[in-house]
Amino acid sequence: MSRKSLASPFLLWIACGTVIPLAVIAFYGFTDRSGTFTWDNILAIFSPEHAQALGLSLLLAAISTVICFLLAFPLALILKDSKLGQKGFMIFIFILPMWMNFLLRTMAWQVLLEKSGPINAILTGIGLPAMEIINTPAAIVLGMVYDFLPFMVLPIYNTLVKIDPHVIEAAYDLGATKKRVLFDILLPLSVPGIASGVTMVFVPALTTFVISNMLGGGKIHLIGNIIEQEFTTSANWNLGSGLSLVMMIFIVLSMAALSKLDKDGEGSLL
Amino acid sequence: MKNLKTLYLILILAFLYVPILALMILSFNESKSMAVWSGFSTKWYEEMFSNTLIMEAVWNTFTIALISAAVATIIGTAACIGIQAMRKKTENAIMALNNIPLLNADIVTGISLMMTFLVFGISLSYGTVLLSHITFCLPYVILSVMPKFKQLTGNTYEAALDLGATPWQAFYKVIIPEIKPGIMSGFLLSFTMSVDDFVITHFTRGAGINTISTMIYSQVKVGIRPTLFALSTIIFVVVLIVLVASNMAGNSTNPKVQKGVTAFTTGFVVVLLAGTLVFSGIAGGSGGKEVHVYSYGDYIDPALIEEFEEETGITVVMDTFDTAEEMYPVVKNESVTYDVICTSDYMLEKLMEEDLLAELDYSGIPNIDNMDKRYLELAEGFDPGNKYAVPHTWGSLGILYNTKVIPEGEITSWNDLWKDKYKGRIVMPDSMRDTMAIALKAKGYSLNTTKEAEIAEAIDYLIQQKPLVYKYANDSARDLILGGACDIAVVWNGEVLYTQEENPDLAYVIPKEGSEHFTDAWAMPAAAKHKDAGLAWINFMLEKQTAEVNFDYLTYSIPNVAVIEMNKDNPANMGVLFPPDAVLTKCEALKNLGSEVDDMYTEYWKKFKS
Amino acid sequence: MALIELRNISKSFEDTQVLDNFNLTVNENEFITLLGPSGCGKTTTLRIIGGFETPDEGQVFFEGVDITNVPPNKRHLNTVFQKYALFPHMNVEENIAFGLKISGKSDAYIKDKIKYALKLVNLDGFEKRKIDRLSGGQQQRIAMARAIVNEPRVLLLDEPLGALDLKLRQDMQYELIRLKNELGITFIYVTHDQEEALTMSDKVVVMNKGYIQQMGTPEQIYNEPENAFVADFIGDSNIVDGIMVRDKVVKICDTIFPCIDDGFGQNKPVDVVIRPEDLIIGKPGQGHLDGEVVHNVFQGVHYEMEIEAGGFLWLAQNTTSYPVGTKVSLEVEPENIQIMHKPQSEGEEAIEIDV
Repeated sequence: MSRKSLASPFLLWIACGTVIPLAVIAFYGFTDRSGTFTWDNILAIFSPEHAQALGLSLLLAAISTVICFLLAFPLALILKDSKLGQKGFMIFIFILPMWMNFLLRTMAWQVLLEKSGPINAILTGIGLPAMEIINTPAAIVLGMVYDFLPFMVLPIYNTLVKIDPHVIEAAYDLGATKKRVLFDILLPLSVPGIASGVTMVFVPALTTFVISNMLGGGKIHLIGNIIEQEFTTSANWNLGSGLSLVMMIFIVLSMAALSKLDKDGEGSLL
Repeated sequence: MKNLKTLYLILILAFLYVPILALMILSFNESKSMAVWSGFSTKWYEEMFSNTLIMEAVWNTFTIALISAAVATIIGTAACIGIQAMRKKTENAIMALNNIPLLNADIVTGISLMMTFLVFGISLSYGTVLLSHITFCLPYVILSVMPKFKQLTGNTYEAALDLGATPWQAFYKVIIPEIKPGIMSGFLLSFTMSVDDFVITHFTRGAGINTISTMIYSQVKVGIRPTLFALSTIIFVVVLIVLVASNMAGNSTNPKVQKGVTAFTTGFVVVLLAGTLVFSGIAGGSGGKEVHVYSYGDYIDPALIEEFEEETGITVVMDTFDTAEEMYPVVKNESVTYDVICTSDYMLEKLMEEDLLAELDYSGIPNIDNMDKRYLELAEGFDPGNKYAVPHTWGSLGILYNTKVIPEGEITSWNDLWKDKYKGRIVMPDSMRDTMAIALKAKGYSLNTTKEAEIAEAIDYLIQQKPLVYKYANDSARDLILGGACDIAVVWNGEVLYTQEENPDLAYVIPKEGSEHFTDAWAMPAAAKHKDAGLAWINFMLEKQTAEVNFDYLTYSIPNVAVIEMNKDNPANMGVLFPPDAVLTKCEALKNLGSEVDDMYTEYWKKFKS
Repeated sequence: MALIELRNISKSFEDTQVLDNFNLTVNENEFITLLGPSGCGKTTTLRIIGGFETPDEGQVFFEGVDITNVPPNKRHLNTVFQKYALFPHMNVEENIAFGLKISGKSDAYIKDKIKYALKLVNLDGFEKRKIDRLSGGQQQRIAMARAIVNEPRVLLLDEPLGALDLKLRQDMQYELIRLKNELGITFIYVTHDQEEALTMSDKVVVMNKGYIQQMGTPEQIYNEPENAFVADFIGDSNIVDGIMVRDKVVKICDTIFPCIDDGFGQNKPVDVVIRPEDLIIGKPGQGHLDGEVVHNVFQGVHYEMEIEAGGFLWLAQNTTSYPVGTKVSLEVEPENIQIMHKPQSEGEEAIEIDV
């Protein structure tokens, strides 16, 4: 038995589990209920409700991604330089929260943020105005950042750690200030990790429906919610598939950008 | 600067862990409330172990995770070996293919898998969830193992062959030890991703199959019982122990320590799983008869489920849904087959028209005599001759408000919900027909209108109202008003008694324009597999004692003679539960409007939601 | 005034004391090499001068000014790192321009300087090249160019030739000398390769275990090692026990050898060093000692033979080959016998070096 054939169960699985389902989506996306070919399901993205949901989703996902980056990069830097940057410990600290069910953790934020919840109790207790984030887009952004932060930190950290420390010393040797080292050396060299992190945050943030359900109070409808409903409530598989195909475009774009910016797969999660 | 860095680290860690700590603390809270601490208690932990549904979900979650991680690891590792032997171009192509599930949105993966299963005639079950999990775990294994292959110190494989080993021996003795860390981390990562998955499981599961995630989600709308906090706390602690132990074992070079820790951890995990198996009663054997029940969430006292199982020996597999619209496609597509469903009048009408229901064999439901005749008549409005449905509850929609903040009698009309002075204090329902009914009634239209102009006007009216609304919620509305998060909530009359018990300052009114009334009834899908069991269930539901227990639990109008008997001397209760005809005539039941009109409603509803 | 002075520097990492009360002076326009085995502290010394490590105790002076706590980006030195440490995301000219841009030089100035630097290292026209397209030798030269273009007073080089193959290394050694002479700046060079040190340096500082073993010109180090360590580290050597009978006379293997060293006392035990190439091989009876060839290996440049004579196994190098088993005699010219003190204790003592 050749070595190559060892890969065949995997290939078979990928064929059945990834390729065929994508074909099924494509089929439903391009046909209507009676099975005739149509562009309607794809073009439906341009109808006002859908476009608005998509726009909002893009906006919130973008904001969350940026916030994740702004939080993650300094964190990765600090961890890189610190003694407890042993790889195992790092991953440990960030994987651990994932073991608490993510629905519950998101729900916990709902509890914490609720008008009559603990955070407001503390705020009013010390004389500050109560905040009303819950059930607004801000709450959803908070939920997205909370859920996806580890996916931004780990790839960036992994890339930073691979930078030759002598390169950084050389920069100082040539007169660079800390700021210059950050912007001219560290940032450009962490691009693969950043690209990876951005993809791993933006795509799930763009397509989530759980976070908007739990923290949006039913007031905020993202494209993910619409797609989910087409498959549960409205039973319109064709429309749902069409919209999903449109989402795939964003996903493919991210993958293409990622492969360009992170050719060697440096920005891995592990 | 150093202090700044430490501070930042601490802040981020706090951000990550505070919610977890909050949940852990709440798991010891005496009351169900998430906002109010009423004392230390371990009752949720006790309840957890006696709740077979939760234990089943735990069992499912971990067995699925273990099996999928194991299978994925084997297939994935084998694949890496094979891929290594291929040309660079093929390798790149395969790796690109491998990336697709990773980078794909999980909602797309979930629905594509679901559709694929159904298209090929595979109905959803435990097995489909398992297959789906393996599918999305595979890329993680590949990602973990491939780099290790790349890092292999050259020629060790050839050296082994040179020394006389067969290819398999060489592989086993030389290659495997070097890639072992990759295999282990691949397994661990797959396991983690599987346990935490929600979306994909949500779409690919069958009747009664719940994982911890789906169980939690089904409770999100109703308000999560702290039992699930207790469960999650335990899991978290277990995992913490396991991870710390494996870290220790990994770091120590003393083989005795390593062996000892590995043995302890494995033993620990096995004991846990065994315990789960026992508690979930799966081991006790569910062999024999089953009935698959699909109903609104929290509509039946769990104690009754046990009673039914004991009395009849039929195991109950129960699933819940939040809205009738959610239930419809499941029944229509037969993605999961149920034996008996409980849903609302207009939806039952639709199912009847589409021939999705079976006629009931009343010889199996002798307790039908316990049903109050008036309500059987009412039910004929959508089910002439009562051929398909037996009423479970009856209700009307009204406004519940806090008289401490809003003087009693100030709210009389639906239009009062549009007043600026109540901004941010209002909770409206999150259900297409119900929410739109409010707007339509407020405008003086029928809540069954088919006129586009009226629907458009209602939607615009609702859009206007959005900034005033605190939240759109169904069952959790009662908790919100009890918790003080809002002062006005649109609720079903069934919620009223319960909430008034907890807070006597709450008043209830059916607005003067009239309201929606509904009948929720039991029916049997045409595709039901266990028809006799289904009939037995309905019969049980009609028993006087069952009705009384359910009434105590739900405080909803159950039109059973026993319940009417219980309340007839309490005019206040009667007014809420079984209002006089004068009020009834102003109320309309939702009717099925046909798919074209349905689509129109949906379009406008989407517009409102966006 | 010395250009650089290290005063009483102590530095330890984890549990290891790398430098203990270390003192060193460097003068202008010197090519000074720190030579020693791994772990002797030479790289640490260089990094302390560069500012990448701070000493636990002691001070660093530059032109008389205490720069111990000055960060590396403010010191007027530049470093050429062992693995070049070129910025992988910038091309050649961007790498070279880096330091100049920081000091705010004009674009025209920078462009000229880059051209000049590339010409200096014989890589004209390489401005737009990507770093990953350069060979090891080319990278090394770009690293040099990047450093010198900032006109530092002192250039620090941390084993820059280690990763190059032999021929290239030899070529680069000559390049470095040429560069130093053209630029007229001080080079502080670190290496474990004694051939390199001897080829390029004006002054060699031999270090071991954090202490200076000997400091001098290459000829001094080679011909007049002051202790067994230096003798052994530099070149091949025969180190044998001897007794200093009186000035200019030493007894080795019970045989009297006239030599030229004095001041070692009378009848004192000493270490004697004789280089293998200084052993004159002749017919038995012709020289100081008689013996027999026991080992013979052809090494291209010469034959290396081991000769048993006077109870000691001598290492000899000669262009004439004496087959194994041949009876021979050994003779040494007096000026080729180097007398050294026997070490007083386990730890060698640091030597105070004055200008």
